[in-house]
Amino acid sequence: MPDYDAIVVGAGNAGSAAAITMASKGLSVLLVDRSDPPGAKNLSGGVLWGNDLARILPKWQSEAPLERYIQNKKIGFLTDDSSIIIDFKTKIFEENKVGYTVLRSKFDPWLAKKAKEAGAMVIPGITVESLAKKDGKIVGVVESGDTITASVVILAEGINPRLAIEAGLREPLQDWEVSVGVKEIIKMSPQKIEDRFNLTSTSGMASEYIMGNLKELNVGAFFYTNKDSISLGIVSPMEQLRANGVTHTYDIIEQFKEHPSIAPLIEGGTVAEYGAHMIPEGGLEMIPKLYGDGYMIVGDAAGFGFSNGLVLQGMNYAFLSGILAGETAVEAKGRNDFSENFLALYKQKLEGSYVLKDLKTFKDIRKVTNNKNMYTVYPKMLESILLEMLWERGQPKKKVRDILSSCAADLNLSKLKTATDFYYIYRRM
Amino acid sequence: MIVDIKERLGKTKYDVDKSYAHITVDERICEKCPHHFCVMACPAQCYTLQDGKLNFQYEDCVECGTCSVACDQGSVKWTFPKAGKGVIYKYG
Repeated sequence: MPDYDAIVVGAGNAGSAAAITMASKGLSVLLVDRSDPPGAKNLSGGVLWGNDLARILPKWQSEAPLERYIQNKKIGFLTDDSSIIIDFKTKIFEENKVGYTVLRSKFDPWLAKKAKEAGAMVIPGITVESLAKKDGKIVGVVESGDTITASVVILAEGINPRLAIEAGLREPLQDWEVSVGVKEIIKMSPQKIEDRFNLTSTSGMASEYIMGNLKELNVGAFFYTNKDSISLGIVSPMEQLRANGVTHTYDIIEQFKEHPSIAPLIEGGTVAEYGAHMIPEGGLEMIPKLYGDGYMIVGDAAGFGFSNGLVLQGMNYAFLSGILAGETAVEAKGRNDFSENFLALYKQKLEGSYVLKDLKTFKDIRKVTNNKNMYTVYPKMLESILLEMLWERGQPKKKVRDILSSCAADLNLSKLKTATDFYYIYRRM
Repeated sequence: MIVDIKERLGKTKYDVDKSYAHITVDERICEKCPHHFCVMACPAQCYTLQDGKLNFQYEDCVECGTCSVACDQGSVKWTFPKAGKGVIYKYG
């Protein structure tokens, strides 16, 4: 008889969501996290959309430690001198209030507490050393030389999945599968944030940028408002960092902060925290085998992330994959069958959800996001068009068609290459 | 508002495990490494080159795992810090 029905390794969004789902259906659940308080190793670089969280915690909006609801979403392109920003502000966001900025060191302990309230045994500050195997099955975890057993182990260990790699459940990560995220928290008074970004005491702004001012790298950047701080950071693909070979990741974030359109936004603020995290960006191709005899893999550990350079998805995939793994475990308990055969249900559930549907729809997105023109040439082109159209220099105006062809010539861009790029954006994005 | 990396790291909270280095590197392998990409990739400046020799310290590590991917020479051995030790984000 195993010690628990389920052991969940990692109390981030995916792990805690799985624990809540199982414990609330009466399963005996052990949830461990290597940090104390849980989540203190985690960084968020995205907006938390609560649709999935609402399935297990309907009152999340009034109970969770949230920062600001997203009323205003911006998409920006930066060149050396300019910024071109699409500023989307809608009453629909204001009325629905489902997207929020969060700080993980506040949010994750709350979610783990909810797992405890649901009946799970939650132990933070425990580093699982390895997975216990017997006859090719995962039967538990090993910590300080002791084996704790369970019918199923749910691996929610995050983007650096040491246990899964060690146990041979997935290959070590490759360059193309990850980006390096670097983040800072800039402390600023709520008053200043609300005045500067035209917000109320509860509303917030989330911006994503394409950094066209870096010549060799396709770097995306983010800038979000919290209650009394700004979260900002950069996301840089490992493949390109290696090919480039001369840029320190810790300098790229400074280049973002120094940009003429970003610097005034953080003026008067002070750096309160610096951190970094990898981000899964390999899409469908990086997803490992998601289940086997006695285990399931959820969240970042499974590679459930998505990025098209402008949208980052990770936390929401984490909630949903955790919930679906939890539901699978509940059904497995009902049948008393935790075999690979039965746990295949987890993958079926994922395939019916937006997690694997999105990853399938955008399976070729890397052809767009890896295209250097997207980051360096097209923002520059946009800048040239706007300068030509909006700057009165006492010269005769040109038609857009003529501006475009002179830009393409200036930027050394062939018509065929441009047409191909746009074909890919149209087909794959 | 350019802030030196060491100063930025100084804002981040750690409980350093003085008795256990969760990452180790094999100096003999690093000596022959053709690229030392870890120096560029590590966001916490744990890897530096001094007179062409790789220098590594784990104390400032933010546990992102980047070096475990960046090192393609088999030098970096990456484990999780022991119970509760290492970086402790106050904001996240």
